[in-house]
Amino acid sequence: MVEAISLKGQASARAGTLMNSAEELTARARCGDHEAFRSIFERYARPIISFIYDMVGRRDLAEELTQETFVRAYKNLGAMREETKISTWLFGIAKNVARESLRSRIREDHRVGIDDDRIVEMSDGKLPPDRELLDKELNGVIQDALGSLDEDKRLVFTLKVFQQRSYEEIAEITGSSIPKLKTDLHRARAEMRRRIQPYLGVGYEV
Amino acid sequence: MKCEECQAAIEDYIDEALAVRTAREMSVHLSSCEACSRCYEEFKREQSIYASYQRDVDVTPALWAGIASRLERQPVIKGPTFFETLRERFVGMFGAPRLSPAFAAALVLVAIGVTAVIMQYAGSRGSEPVAQNASTGTQGEQPPSNPGTPDIRKPAENPVVDQSTNPTVAVVKKETTKRPAVGPPTPEQLVREAEQKYVQAIAILSRDVNERRSKIDPAVLARFDAALADIDRTIAETKQATRQNPRDPIALNYLLSAYSKKVDALRDMARD
Repeated sequence: MVEAISLKGQASARAGTLMNSAEELTARARCGDHEAFRSIFERYARPIISFIYDMVGRRDLAEELTQETFVRAYKNLGAMREETKISTWLFGIAKNVARESLRSRIREDHRVGIDDDRIVEMSDGKLPPDRELLDKELNGVIQDALGSLDEDKRLVFTLKVFQQRSYEEIAEITGSSIPKLKTDLHRARAEMRRRIQPYLGVGYEV
Repeated sequence: MKCEECQAAIEDYIDEALAVRTAREMSVHLSSCEACSRCYEEFKREQSIYASYQRDVDVTPALWAGIASRLERQPVIKGPTFFETLRERFVGMFGAPRLSPAFAAALVLVAIGVTAVIMQYAGSRGSEPVAQNASTGTQGEQPPSNPGTPDIRKPAENPVVDQSTNPTVAVVKKETTKRPAVGPPTPEQLVREAEQKYVQAIAILSRDVNERRSKIDPAVLARFDAALADIDRTIAETKQATRQNPRDPIALNYLLSAYSKKVDALRDMARD
């Protein structure tokens, strides 16, 4: 017979270790268990903040919007459908929060032309800097390339390539059909490839 | 597979979004076609570049602190707890300010009725042929003297064995006649009695489910365990509430309802 577990006092730590699947944490958080919600935050904060950062391209804004995402999530846990995965639900909220932010502010122009200095330097056949500098440079190129994608493409590219979500999950998060997602992703990959092309043969062998 | 087909499907292959058969065909083609293999390697290099992408952002303690302070300042709109849901349901259904003996008796009837079903289910396990009873599921509504299904239950353990074709009524009769003539039982006594029946049924079903655990799909089992943990938590909370206020009709209702829910969940799992 399954023993009853109290979530009050010291028992909560034990319960936390015993009942730590996403579903269990969600069920507890829905009942107002603050610690369970914190565990959800600890589990999903990194992918969520990364996703938002990829969408908005600014650290301070990504932090602010991540907080907004989790506050909204906590306040609306009761409205979450039981069959929905908590991660999908959180990404859905984060997507809305990021989109609202993008639309409410005048976006800084992240677009970088193909004649961007960094790319030109590589294309000119100069010797590659050391790996650390290369990484830093490449990070900048990827971020700029992401910023140059339109919102739909950036969304699907980030969710699929960086967050490794399935098409079904992305469809649930974005509300788009899977064929549209595949088309957007294909185009996004092509655009991204064009931007990182000079780096494909430089020390990034698999 | 042709090269055009292979190259058109490379992204899905990388994303592991292909059907198993197509993916196998891709593997075979890639191992024998140099051009497609080169194309595939280029995609993989791209993936490795994206995998190495590092963002200028991190999860800091300040991030949670900001969330926590906002949660404290703002009212939290959470979904109803299981306890609250039950409370609404029972208040809506009965709206009784106090637990009347008639109402308590009705609860007991429900409790014992469910128990009778469980007892019958338990009794049918191990008997030959088993399939006749086990396959239909809700055998508690059938007369126990089902032809071809030997009844192995002892009368003392199984009050369903009675002359009546309705086991629930039979049980109530039996329970009523067994009661000592020192006066009518209090509602609390009736509820406690029902609770004991539930506990007994839960023990039997839990044993059955535990025996079947290795045969149950792990994902189903995980959901089942999560649901059971929820119910157990409600039972623990309602028990505490009834200890603090033994005559609180709502708390008593919750308790029985939680037990009933647990029996239902276990019975479903034992039966599958």
